[in-house]
Amino acid sequence: MDMHSKTRYIVLALLILIPSFVNLGVPIYNRDLPELFGLPFFYWFQTFWLVACTGFYLTYAKIVENKS
Amino acid sequence: MISSDIFIVFISLFIVFIGLGFYGKYWRRGDLNHVHEWSLAGRKLGTTLVFFLIGADLYTAYSFVAIPSGVFAKGALYFFAIPYVMLTFAVALVVMPKLWTLAREKGYITASDFVKDRFNSKALAIMIAVTGIVAELPYIALQIVGMQSVLTVMLAGYANSQMVQEISLLIAFVILAAFTYTSGLRGATLTAIFKDILVWITVIVVIVVVPISIGGFGNAFKAANSSYVTLPENLVPAYATLILGSALALYLYPHAISGVLSAQSAQKLRKSTALLPLYGIGLAVLALMGILVYAVPDAMKFLSGFPESSRGILVVPSLILYSLPSWFSGVALLGIFIGGLVPAAIMAMAQANLLTRNIIKEIKPNLSDKSEIKITKVSSTVFKFIALGFVFSVPATYAISLQLLGGILIVQILPAVFFGLYIKMLKKTPLIVGLLVGISSGIFMIEMANSFGPLTSSLLKTTFGPIYIAVISLGINLAISFGGSIIQKKQIPKTRL
Repeated sequence: MDMHSKTRYIVLALLILIPSFVNLGVPIYNRDLPELFGLPFFYWFQTFWLVACTGFYLTYAKIVENKS
Repeated sequence: MISSDIFIVFISLFIVFIGLGFYGKYWRRGDLNHVHEWSLAGRKLGTTLVFFLIGADLYTAYSFVAIPSGVFAKGALYFFAIPYVMLTFAVALVVMPKLWTLAREKGYITASDFVKDRFNSKALAIMIAVTGIVAELPYIALQIVGMQSVLTVMLAGYANSQMVQEISLLIAFVILAAFTYTSGLRGATLTAIFKDILVWITVIVVIVVVPISIGGFGNAFKAANSSYVTLPENLVPAYATLILGSALALYLYPHAISGVLSAQSAQKLRKSTALLPLYGIGLAVLALMGILVYAVPDAMKFLSGFPESSRGILVVPSLILYSLPSWFSGVALLGIFIGGLVPAAIMAMAQANLLTRNIIKEIKPNLSDKSEIKITKVSSTVFKFIALGFVFSVPATYAISLQLLGGILIVQILPAVFFGLYIKMLKKTPLIVGLLVGISSGIFMIEMANSFGPLTSSLLKTTFGPIYIAVISLGINLAISFGGSIIQKKQIPKTRL
């Protein structure tokens, strides 16, 4: 494995692991404040995080694709 | 009693739905006498279509009924569905393209095909197929409960509503059976798109109209219980394990694997999987309806007319009925109705594939292509009616709890299917033992958690707090599968000497 593909591998792993860590790390988002439009943090953060996850996953898909 | 515009809109859209279902046969034409043409739409689906087809598995009665019902009754805990879908797509993104590539190379149609080839074990392959078929049944039953909830709300106050409801369900199922028989997965995909368009419109309208009409989300949270604002500290382990267990289970369901294998290429599969968390936004809105409904007095009044145990499943349809204009309610209610119907079709088709290819064909290997497709089509019809019979005979509350049991069962095939893709050292005997022990320990624990009474909980109280049983029994299964394979590997050289 050369240096370049090693870096690529780490980046790919992080793109999957970071969102997963946040999703399973319940205490990170289990709070009521700050609210957004009257929604407690718990609810709006997880909904917002769906969009962020899509960003992570699309980047992952893009990097995998570029190799082949 | 509701106004007749709702019925007019509902029935007209249902006719469009039927038309699309039958038209599927002509769409992207292929020879439907081949199993992969009928059940995988010829593996020709691109990014958008796979997105809709797998998304169709997300917007099922699980999201319309089970999740809002749980949020309504228990609050924040059931919001676990949102991080669960995010995590499940991470799992799928890594594992599924690999399965897709192998399946294309070797002609697999089911997970059981892969397992048979990989471990050279008919026994393990048959067990995987049986687990898939059984785990899918309660999931289909849940879809029917969702359809029932729509009909209950629409027919409330009319004479003979119970009988009308059962006849309507039966008619809907006969129509569904007819078009899946002729059009296969193509019909299901077309109707899935139609369903999702209706659902997305509904979700957007609800999230704009309802908070405005009740004066902001804040009021709904004030009207609900205070434990709905955040997750109570003691439920954190339950929340995290429900996310993990469900995320690992989703892509093991036979219908999800069919969806994946119908993709045109691994790249298109990756792209549509990456985009799928966006579908979760709609799921979040549906889950929030379980709280929003507290601030809509008319809907609450309507719900109070039903026994407490069946109120939850009626939350979404009643909120729609009492907060949106009546013609629009017709659109939204049909969206939910076919939101149960389409996934039920996709699931029954996946069961039929398993039964024919991985069970009947094992026993009768010289089955002709023609008989294979015939048996697949007929058995998919039979499975639909088994599930329907199940719903007529079992109360609604049970059906939802049984879906959680489905998750506990299906996750037990994970060591063979997911780890089997990557890890060479795994052996068939430990996998078989692990699967059996995983399933039986899971069933035992769920019985224990419910004191051997009706299934209402899928969480086991442990010293770490309540934990989703699927995760515990999968842990036992993995320990046996890996431990056993290591021991066997060490023993083989000795016996050869």
